[in-house]
Amino acid sequence: MIEGKLVDLVPFEDDFAIHMETWMNEEAWFRARLWERREPHTEDDVKKFIEKMEKSERGALIGFQSKDGDPIGGVIFDHEWQRVRKADAMFFAGDTRYEGTDEHLDGLLMLLRYCFETRNLHRLDASALAFDEVRIDLLRRAGFVHEGTLRQHIRYDGDYVDVEMFGILAEDWPGYEQKVAALDLQPSGIEPKPKPEKKDDKETEAGEAKS
Amino acid sequence: MTTLHGLLVDLEPFVPAFHQEKMHAYWNNESRLWATMGDCEPTTRAQIARIHEERSGARERGYTGVHFMMRARDGNIIGSIGLNWVDYWNRTAWLGAWIGEKDYWGGGHGTDALLLTVDYAFRWLDMRRLCLGTMDINERAQRNVEKAGFRFETRERKAALVNGRWIDALNYGLLRDDWPGREALVDQLGLREKAERRYGKGD
Repeated sequence: MIEGKLVDLVPFEDDFAIHMETWMNEEAWFRARLWERREPHTEDDVKKFIEKMEKSERGALIGFQSKDGDPIGGVIFDHEWQRVRKADAMFFAGDTRYEGTDEHLDGLLMLLRYCFETRNLHRLDASALAFDEVRIDLLRRAGFVHEGTLRQHIRYDGDYVDVEMFGILAEDWPGYEQKVAALDLQPSGIEPKPKPEKKDDKETEAGEAKS
Repeated sequence: MTTLHGLLVDLEPFVPAFHQEKMHAYWNNESRLWATMGDCEPTTRAQIARIHEERSGARERGYTGVHFMMRARDGNIIGSIGLNWVDYWNRTAWLGAWIGEKDYWGGGHGTDALLLTVDYAFRWLDMRRLCLGTMDINERAQRNVEKAGFRFETRERKAALVNGRWIDALNYGLLRDDWPGREALVDQLGLREKAERRYGKGD
């Protein structure tokens, strides 16, 4: 676990995977993965995605949760280009109650902290649909700089919409502690959701007996 | 019809000699740095063969790119051009070109190849937008793509490392609605005259 101010980064394991089938069919997912086809994600698709990210040598999917241990969503760095030390940064609040909250922002800050302060990356790229004000606001507050607009780049609900492109350099990043202090992050006070029941027997057989 | 006929170049299916000989030359000369935003490590024939083998199975693994070999009108193989990522869902593709022979830089070969590829992407693949990236220091590429109708869209600060220097990466976009068509640009850019000056009157 990497502890932050309002959220902690944790391995993306069962507590998160169990929500992922819902999360990967939420609007928030497609706002974060904006080039993806708008198609239903089955249980199998979700499993394959998590496995793919687990095996990836150029990226990772990491869970972020509230201080109460409530799973909020995921942060992703992907397509890491080792020679240039850059990667794509993505983040989503699967639990949409947290959309735009300081917990959501802290998830992004923790991704930057991990990428710059642990992985020694030099630059991160991020993107947002032009009308996605919540995401754009989070990116700006985290310190991303707007670097241009890809015109009509993404198909969205009968239209082709612009994509705003952002970047942040290690030299733009003041360090997590300093950034958090400057932003004065406040907890949203959202109640943790009840833990869902595990839904198949395989997990019980694997030794995680239900109490 | 899988050969696209231009005025200075034809775009054709790859031949084995390209992968066996040309790629080895291009991966080890200056052109690589320009085509890849700074890569330049010495690369062996065996490494090239492995890369080629890996790539040849990519389509089965879902790779959507479409690539052509570039042959100049004098018969010489001079490079390649294509779409590195064709996104049929969003009808967008990323375009990339590599002229490995320095004697063919300038003079319109790249522009001719670019117009053929754009035309192909719009008319055969039904793309409605094309993107391409280059480096801040590659002024030749910037001039060429702007002449071909691409518009500057983003500047990624320090997104490339070239010979020890951080370089900005520039991205350009072209919408099908803004494209005047290949014929119009061939006229406007004087490609027939350029071809005639270099290769004499032909068909």
